[in-house]
Amino acid sequence: MTQIQRFASRLAFGASALAFITTTASAGEITWWTPNFNEARARELLTRFQTEHPDVTVNLEITTTNGLPERILTTLQSGAAPDLIDVQHPWVNNYAQNGLVIPLDDVLEAREDYNEAALDYVTWDDQLWGIPYRIEAIAVLYNRGHFAAAGLDPDSPPKTWDELLTTARTLTEAGHSGFAITGGGEVGNTIFRSLPFVWMNGGDLLSEDGTTAVINSPEAVEAVKFWTDMYVEHGVSPTSTLENDGTANRRLFIADQVSMYQSGQFDIASIQTENPNIDIGAMMTPHPEGGEPAAILGGWSWVVPTTAENPEDAKTLIRWLAQPENMGFFTDTFPARTSAMELPRFDDPMLQVFGEMLPYGRPLPTHPQYAQMAQAYFDGIQRILIGEQTAQEAMDLAAEDIQALLDQ
Amino acid sequence: MRRLPTGLLFALPALIVLLALIAYPVVYTGILSVTDGSGAFTGTENFRDVLSARMTPRAFTNTLWWVGGSIIFQVILGTAAAILLNQEFPGRGIVRAIAVIPWVVPGIVAATTWAWMFHTEFGIINYMLTGPGLMDEPVGWLTNPDTVMPAMIAINVWKLFPFVAIMVLAGLQSIPKDLYEAARVDGASFWEETRYITLPQVRPVLIAVTLLLVIWALNHVTTIYAITKGGPANLTLITPIQIFRLGFESFQFNQAAALSVIFFVIAMVIVALYIRFLASSGEVAR
Repeated sequence: MTQIQRFASRLAFGASALAFITTTASAGEITWWTPNFNEARARELLTRFQTEHPDVTVNLEITTTNGLPERILTTLQSGAAPDLIDVQHPWVNNYAQNGLVIPLDDVLEAREDYNEAALDYVTWDDQLWGIPYRIEAIAVLYNRGHFAAAGLDPDSPPKTWDELLTTARTLTEAGHSGFAITGGGEVGNTIFRSLPFVWMNGGDLLSEDGTTAVINSPEAVEAVKFWTDMYVEHGVSPTSTLENDGTANRRLFIADQVSMYQSGQFDIASIQTENPNIDIGAMMTPHPEGGEPAAILGGWSWVVPTTAENPEDAKTLIRWLAQPENMGFFTDTFPARTSAMELPRFDDPMLQVFGEMLPYGRPLPTHPQYAQMAQAYFDGIQRILIGEQTAQEAMDLAAEDIQALLDQ
Repeated sequence: MRRLPTGLLFALPALIVLLALIAYPVVYTGILSVTDGSGAFTGTENFRDVLSARMTPRAFTNTLWWVGGSIIFQVILGTAAAILLNQEFPGRGIVRAIAVIPWVVPGIVAATTWAWMFHTEFGIINYMLTGPGLMDEPVGWLTNPDTVMPAMIAINVWKLFPFVAIMVLAGLQSIPKDLYEAARVDGASFWEETRYITLPQVRPVLIAVTLLLVIWALNHVTTIYAITKGGPANLTLITPIQIFRLGFESFQFNQAAALSVIFFVIAMVIVALYIRFLASSGEVAR
């Protein structure tokens, strides 16, 4: 045998051994990708799952949110995807339209128990392409001490836009920034905080059928003007608004410089550790007179890739994880099932307001060019904030840019 | 049969690696720019889409300001620093070492640090200006349309003038001492020495360094992306950042490729003109 032949035979042996390993791995064995913040709870749940289902072995792989969309897209298209992946709701629609994940209608139990908007996110072509497990919505955090010092009642925070503005002005006169909005950082920061104001006023980014940009409608412009005027006209948002994202606003709140700002429950823990002197209050996002609050629903779903080796066992695991007590244990914020909300861990007065915001949560548009549309809208907001354009002019231009993307 | 020249055989492995790493991505970018997401040929559609976007002309203008402003101050400041560092004075070695620091600091670290120093509320720059009463109101350095691009350019100048200084210093040290001695015999002042001996002698170095600076400023992403991401309202959006956003934030790889091709051609023209113009003046050894 020549050396080359020997080498080739070894290679062949290696390859078949490798093939053997991968095929045996698929029998009763699944791979689950979950983000690092879920790791501890996932491991605990899996120990219990394993005792109930000894025939299924689950390999947990931990992901990080930074760069996760790219990593998941790559694995979905590579043909060697894991069997179960945790993804954010807005990503699911694109996977479904490109045939990268399988429908999960047969996995969902007790449909009416789920948050409606969360199911909307993961529905396409009348089928369900993911099982939502975690949902959250932004509300407003405020400094109760500032309220009392300015002669306002901390127990009755503003409910309408008019009250919000008056309160913000009073707090600003008392020496703080009354209501901080965002104007910098990642695009998403400003979308999540300003678009609900447009919705509350009856406006939207796109028309219902998704073919027309309507962000320059009178309702939308009025809402955008109200929101940006916090900085432009009334100066109740800090001077640094244009460079602030959600995190920067939290720092200003911790530094006692901001009295009210829009945020999720995820900020509460770090405020309590970094400045325990602040008496934190939470209020629902104020709405126009006679209207109701709105929020963008965020959160996570489980999907099963089309190329999963063992979709049946993955579905078994999802069914088990989606039991109210398991889902309620697993989620970092709130569970997508109403019945899971009754668990003791959600019985926290601080969380109550964020929980009450959930029914008002709505999904973001799921157009393939959404990222560029969001950028066009955000550029418009920034043009208003730097004083280059009025709300009407800026939203006219944004609508034009978004329409061009829709027509492409 | 003719044998391949032995020299070529030795160079072949390196050539293949170079082809794989440089030629393939360039060609592939070209292909991406004339196809759509599914790989079908679309002709000039991507180019039309990307050129009709409102931000494209703005990004081009911003890029010109960015490159022009950066180069002028980097070269002037770098040359001045080099001439100073070439003088004999006690502690010269230490000063030379300190002067290099900005260039050695990783780009992303420098950018983040500057972002905090320029911050309207927490920044040390506003603190120093408002503290002693030099200014009444804090300045929104990174949000005021008049100051944000100059601030970016200032950071870029700070970051790269040490590089110019080091290169020019090396050029200065290769100037024969006799020239200065002869000038001094004739009664030349420091300024005359600089004007008639130093600058003409380091001119080839300056030309090469400027070319490098132009290329680096044209592909620069780190500083601006880390601080403003091209904002506010695209005031600091330069073309490389627009390409990055199109590709990696919006996943429009075909449009990003089209813009890259356009930008590649423009950069080639600028560099070609630069070399041609200076070569014709007979100063650069080709």
